[in-house]
Formats: sequence, C-alpha cells, structure tokens
Amino acid sequence: MSLQTVLQSIQNSGLSLWIRQNPAIFPIIESLHVVAITLVFGTIMIVDLRLLGFASHRRGANKLIAELLPFTWGAFILAVATGCLLFTANAPAYANNTQFRLKLLVILAAGINMAVFHVTTHRRIAAWDTVMPPPTAARVAGVTSLLLWVAVIYIGRWIGFTLDILF
Amino acid sequence: MSIQTFGQWLYTTPVAATIRETVWIIPTVQAVHILSIAVLVGSALVSNLRLAGVFAADEASPAIIRRYLPRMWSALGILLLTGLVLIVAEPGRTLNNAVFWTKMALVLIAFVLTLVFQKPLLQSPPAGNGSDKSAMTKPVAWLSLVLWTVVIFCGRFIAYT
Repeated sequence: MSLQTVLQSIQNSGLSLWIRQNPAIFPIIESLHVVAITLVFGTIMIVDLRLLGFASHRRGANKLIAELLPFTWGAFILAVATGCLLFTANAPAYANNTQFRLKLLVILAAGINMAVFHVTTHRRIAAWDTVMPPPTAARVAGVTSLLLWVAVIYIGRWIGFTLDILF
Repeated sequence: MSIQTFGQWLYTTPVAATIRETVWIIPTVQAVHILSIAVLVGSALVSNLRLAGVFAADEASPAIIRRYLPRMWSALGILLLTGLVLIVAEPGRTLNNAVFWTKMALVLIAFVLTLVFQKPLLQSPPAGNGSDKSAMTKPVAWLSLVLWTVVIFCGRFIAYT
C-alpha cells in the first residue's frame, strides 16, 4: 500500500468525513490546538529563559524544570492529538504541504535538542542548579529551544495560508 | 459615521491595502500575535495556579506575581498592536463581527480581574501571603484561566464568522 493510498483511506474514513461535514468541528479542534500550543510555548519559554539566565519564580533550575515540564508534556500531547484530527480531515492536502512537512521537521529538531540537553547538561544540573548565569551548554540549549518553537508556530501559521484544500 | 462605514473607509486606505497585498505581513503578524498569547497564557497559568493554591505553594504569591505580571503587560501591549494591524487590514472581518467584540469584552474583564486581584500583591511584603486574604482569590484565579481559554476560542472563531 503506497503512502497516497494510506492518505486517501484516511481522507475517506468516517472520522474525516464527520469533521468535514460538521462546520463547527474544525474550528473547535483548531481552537484546542491553539490553546495547547500557547501552553506548550508559554511553559517551555519560562524554562528556556531560565536556561538563558533570566530568573523565574524558582531559584533552582532543576525544581523549575521538574515543576513545569509536566504541563509542557500534557499540552504537547493535546497539541499532537488535535493536530492528528486536523490532519485526518484533509490528509493528502497536509501531507503535500511544504510548510506542514517543515513544521514536523522543526518539531523533531526541538525534540532532539531537548533529548541532548537531558542526557548531557541536565545530568550535571546539581553543579549549576542555582548558578547564574548558567553554563554555556545550558544557554545554547535554551536559545535553540526558543528559536525552534518560535519557528514551529510561525511555520504552523503559514499552513493556513498555503494549504490546498480549505473547505 | 457608523462602524460599518468606518470599516469600509478603513479598508480602502493605502495602509490597509499595503498590509493585505504584502504576502508575508498578515501571517507574520498573526504568528507574533499567537506567540504573545503564549507568553500571556504561560504567565497567567503559573500566576493563577499559584493563587488557586495548587502550584508552587511553598513560594509566596507576591514573589510569583512580581515575576510574571510585567510579562503579561508586555504581552498585552504587543497583542493590542498586532491586533490593530490585523483590524486595519481587514476591518470587515472584525468590526462587524460579534465574536470579535465578545473577545474584546472578555479580554477587558480578564485584565480588570488581573488588576484587581494580582496588582495589589506587588505592594505586599515579599514573604507575606496577601493572596489568601480574599475568599474570592481562588475562584477568580480559576475564572481567569477559563476566560483566557474562551478568548483563544473566540480568536479562532473570528475567522469563521
């Protein structure tokens, strides 16, 4: 089964049809997607700014990260779930959209950046927990994360202007 | 001059035409608008969950408000500015739209609640816990988070009404 057949069968599914046939559903899913995005970026930004050396409500970076990341993850799961529903409504159009593909790549890059931070700099956090400014590696991870998430939101907004099918 | 004729006049101005005809302006301004909402939502989340007593309860509320309230004001400034650009470009989409005015009313209410329930905490001593003095603080904190969520829904629905 080729990718195009898979995309077409998603497009022909009952769920996809249901979203397209009820005009209120798509904007509701989009709104939830935006709520999720603002929570992802709003919480991860506080952590990223702390990694860059901007004080937060916690003195230690470790406690801040432990406290905020559950919110970031919860919101990210909501963003992915609502994103999947939006994709289902117009699978072939999204799959062929350059901005959509680029957005997925940048999300992947943000994930890799976070994973690298967690297995390297974060392992040694006890040594720099309350040190200001934080070590260069932490600052690099912070600024990279901020730039990548800004890019995700910017590219994401472009999808709405470039998608082939808008019903 | 009715708001409808004002919108029609605004639409014909050169500045509105320029914004509409320059391909990158509207998506970029909308992206900055969403990023500012994210800054606001992140700050509102931490502040209101603290005031509701379910987050960082071992930190004093005034210390948290002092950290995040200025971010909310900066975000509001950028939101009004980018929102204005979007209104100028497409006045018909907003000025004649009940969802837009609902959103504006809710933003106003949310910020008045922020002024009344958060700003006074800036004056209380850092170690004090001024928030718990008012029985209204907790419900208002939850209400604020609901209001911001509804504001985001309204914002998205402007495009569909």
